[in-house]
Amino acid sequence: MKIKGFLKDVGGASRVTQKRLDAFSNASDIPEMIDPIGEVKRQWHPDTLKLVVTDIREASKTAKTIRFEREDGEKLPFFYAGQYISLAFNMDGHIVCRPYSISSAPFEARANKPFVEITVRRSKGDGWISDYINDELKVGTHIMGNMGLGQFYYEPLRDAKNIVALAGGVGITPFVSMAKEIARGTMDANLTILFGSVSSDDIILKEELDKLSGERVRVVHVLSGDDPDWKGERGFLSAELIQKYSEGDCSYFICGPQVMYKFLHEEVAKLDVPDRRIRFEVFGQAKDITKFPGYPKEMSDKTFELSVMRGIKKDVIPAKACESIVTACERAGIILLTDCRSGECGFCRTKVIRGDYYVCPENDGRRAADKDFNYVHACSAYPLGDMTIKIPIV
Amino acid sequence: MSYYSDHYDVIVIGGALAGLSSALMLAEKGHKVLVLERHNLPGGIATSFVRGGIEIEAALHEMMSIGEKDNRLKVGKFFDDMGIDIDWLKVPEAYHASLPGLEVTLHPGFETFAKEVDAAVPGTYDKVLKVLNLCHTVFDSVNELSIHPMSKAKMLMNHEAFVKTAGYSTKEVLDTFDLPKKALDLLAPYWIYVGSGFSELPFTIYAVLMADYVGYGSFIPHKFSHEMSLKMAERAEEMGVQIEYRQHVDKILVRDGKVYGVRTSRGDEIHSDYVISSSYPNNVYTHMIEPASEVPKKAIKMVNGRRLSLTAFSVILILDKSAEELGIKDYSVFRGDTMDTDKCYEELAGLGPYHYITCICHNLANPDATPEGTCSYSITTLPRVDGWKTVKAEDYDKVKHRVANQLIEYMNDYLGFDLRDHILECVIETPMTISHYTDAWNGCIYGYAHTMDDHIVARLQTAEEEKFIEGLEFSGAHQISGDGMGPAVTNGRKAAKNVLDDMQRKGATA
Repeated sequence: MKIKGFLKDVGGASRVTQKRLDAFSNASDIPEMIDPIGEVKRQWHPDTLKLVVTDIREASKTAKTIRFEREDGEKLPFFYAGQYISLAFNMDGHIVCRPYSISSAPFEARANKPFVEITVRRSKGDGWISDYINDELKVGTHIMGNMGLGQFYYEPLRDAKNIVALAGGVGITPFVSMAKEIARGTMDANLTILFGSVSSDDIILKEELDKLSGERVRVVHVLSGDDPDWKGERGFLSAELIQKYSEGDCSYFICGPQVMYKFLHEEVAKLDVPDRRIRFEVFGQAKDITKFPGYPKEMSDKTFELSVMRGIKKDVIPAKACESIVTACERAGIILLTDCRSGECGFCRTKVIRGDYYVCPENDGRRAADKDFNYVHACSAYPLGDMTIKIPIV
Repeated sequence: MSYYSDHYDVIVIGGALAGLSSALMLAEKGHKVLVLERHNLPGGIATSFVRGGIEIEAALHEMMSIGEKDNRLKVGKFFDDMGIDIDWLKVPEAYHASLPGLEVTLHPGFETFAKEVDAAVPGTYDKVLKVLNLCHTVFDSVNELSIHPMSKAKMLMNHEAFVKTAGYSTKEVLDTFDLPKKALDLLAPYWIYVGSGFSELPFTIYAVLMADYVGYGSFIPHKFSHEMSLKMAERAEEMGVQIEYRQHVDKILVRDGKVYGVRTSRGDEIHSDYVISSSYPNNVYTHMIEPASEVPKKAIKMVNGRRLSLTAFSVILILDKSAEELGIKDYSVFRGDTMDTDKCYEELAGLGPYHYITCICHNLANPDATPEGTCSYSITTLPRVDGWKTVKAEDYDKVKHRVANQLIEYMNDYLGFDLRDHILECVIETPMTISHYTDAWNGCIYGYAHTMDDHIVARLQTAEEEKFIEGLEFSGAHQISGDGMGPAVTNGRKAAKNVLDDMQRKGATA
């Protein structure tokens, strides 16, 4: 065969080898240290942030807004309004993570005095960390955090420009972030918030919401309690009410307590809108796992032995059947970091080497192959016997 | 008690396909191996994620070098030999080419492919088959020579086509066939999977690509590329490999020109005489070697003398109707305004608009890919890192959405409906996303560009001279075989073989 001529053809290999060596010897010997694409990534998704609490103020009579800044005062990462931050609290030497929707706006994280805020309501006894935040957290406390996380944000490619937010209680927070960004003109959408509260004297972030209301942001308060002087909407966020405040093509964004989700799943199903227009924020850690379908109730008061492998190191700790694997580790002082605590993000992906477990069906965000090989997201998996797991070294 | 043993035979940085292939091969020979992966799962970009309850493939379009069960090619055979049983699904066609004046679907198998080209451009059957046969001859030679090196004289005698085409670009060789432009256009679309325009792309690479894909077809794992990555990791662990996730290696420790271990960012110092790095040489030689004085100038010159290849930009959609309902007929579509690959390559240096695009609808090879009544549709372009290096963090979201919309609009024209009316879930993957999840240098997924200045034949010839630090090997797209998930496995095996050869040499002299 012939391409250009025998000698040229057979000399090809030597020719390209020489070319390559020439390219090297002609190259600069000054190292190129910067990876600009990696730099952009680090401004959006830096390593764990070292934060400090700089302000705590009332958001209602049962909730507080906590402001964090970076220890070094630098700008916080870019994020999308609606996303959350995962904070790692040090509770007497035990590291416990919790996710909170960010109630401040993305532009505030990049301002001259950059900050990020969360708003947390005191629970009625079942929220160890939310009570800690409301009652004990002090200005000056140092804390580690990861942000911006989660998928609960307006995506212009996918969502309608008219957003109808269905918020219950402290579920208002992601919408406050969105409202701030829209009011400032840096998010191109119209937001109608149907905000369910119990009584008019305990509406979270009411003042901020009043200030933000305007041409593109509308807030409709809906009270479920019997407030004799209330002139506005009453009851729950029913399909009828939602319909009343929907204009044109709308995307529905839903965030609130777990009890509200079941109700709203039924209400939005009554609306004549396609599935792609309905977006629920993640469910959150199950309040009572024994109430979920398929959970073996007879197990609920048992405690098992959980062997935890980190590298070649093994620890054996107790684990209650009614608490997630993550909770067992947190109680035992073993660090198992989480982000969403709803089984969605997979950050706490854990290998089960041995033993039976139950996965909360509402929070099973696992990959198909992971299910085949007994991987769980530890925040939504519960021991049903003695187990051995392997988790990352922290 | 420590989390690690005092000493490992080999430490592998990165638990993606290349690193896991290295680990598997070393473990098979009884060596004690530690794999440190920065993410919380194996695979690098060979992975999947779940959005709105639907699992979505992150990167894999089609896997080459697998072959049917009874006729495995090298990567398929490696998985079989290692006892890794992957549920491979065959991709039904080679591709649909949507080019100016051409709407042609081509299927694998040389004769079928040539017939289909002939049907679109009559009178080209013989010549196209001749091109493909030449590709196959070169492909056979490359496979044999990578196992049995031989003298130049013998090579010329037994591997004439390989030798005589090695010094030429794809364009130079294809020009000798005197094919009509439209037929050449139909032979070109796969170029993007090796990422250089035809006047720069070594014909050797083109030949291997075409022989493999067109000759034997391509495959995808049933449960996304995560099935492949996870099964590799599981098998490696079964064979005694220790894999630690979320461990970022900060430094490779070197003393007197010799590797002695690594340090992770949490501060663990772990010892080994061999380190295989999946991190780019660019990163290793500029940031990771400790002390930096152990990096010879020659290593920096080598890194600076090579050109980073392509990164990726994908709009991945889950649509709210089935492929059938939407009229999507092809698994894989290449759409372009021109099939002048040099022009396409030039355009990829910018930030769009892009006019050469690859689309995949997984459901057409894997009906279970998404829930009933939905389908997945991904639109990908593979830009060079150059344009994306200029994007500032504050403009990133704007640029990302501008490009995503342009790609969608480009495909809307072809599909005849607006994809945006059907989006259940959408994910925009950018070079920054790749950097975020894999830490690849500049988000580059293709290693170094295959060019006449950085030719695979030359890479093989000079490999020995590019070992600057004893005990340090590399594995990943930045190695000899270049980009792609199939070549990643081959690159990983090669790194392991280098370590094994060195161990043997030292064992023999000890």
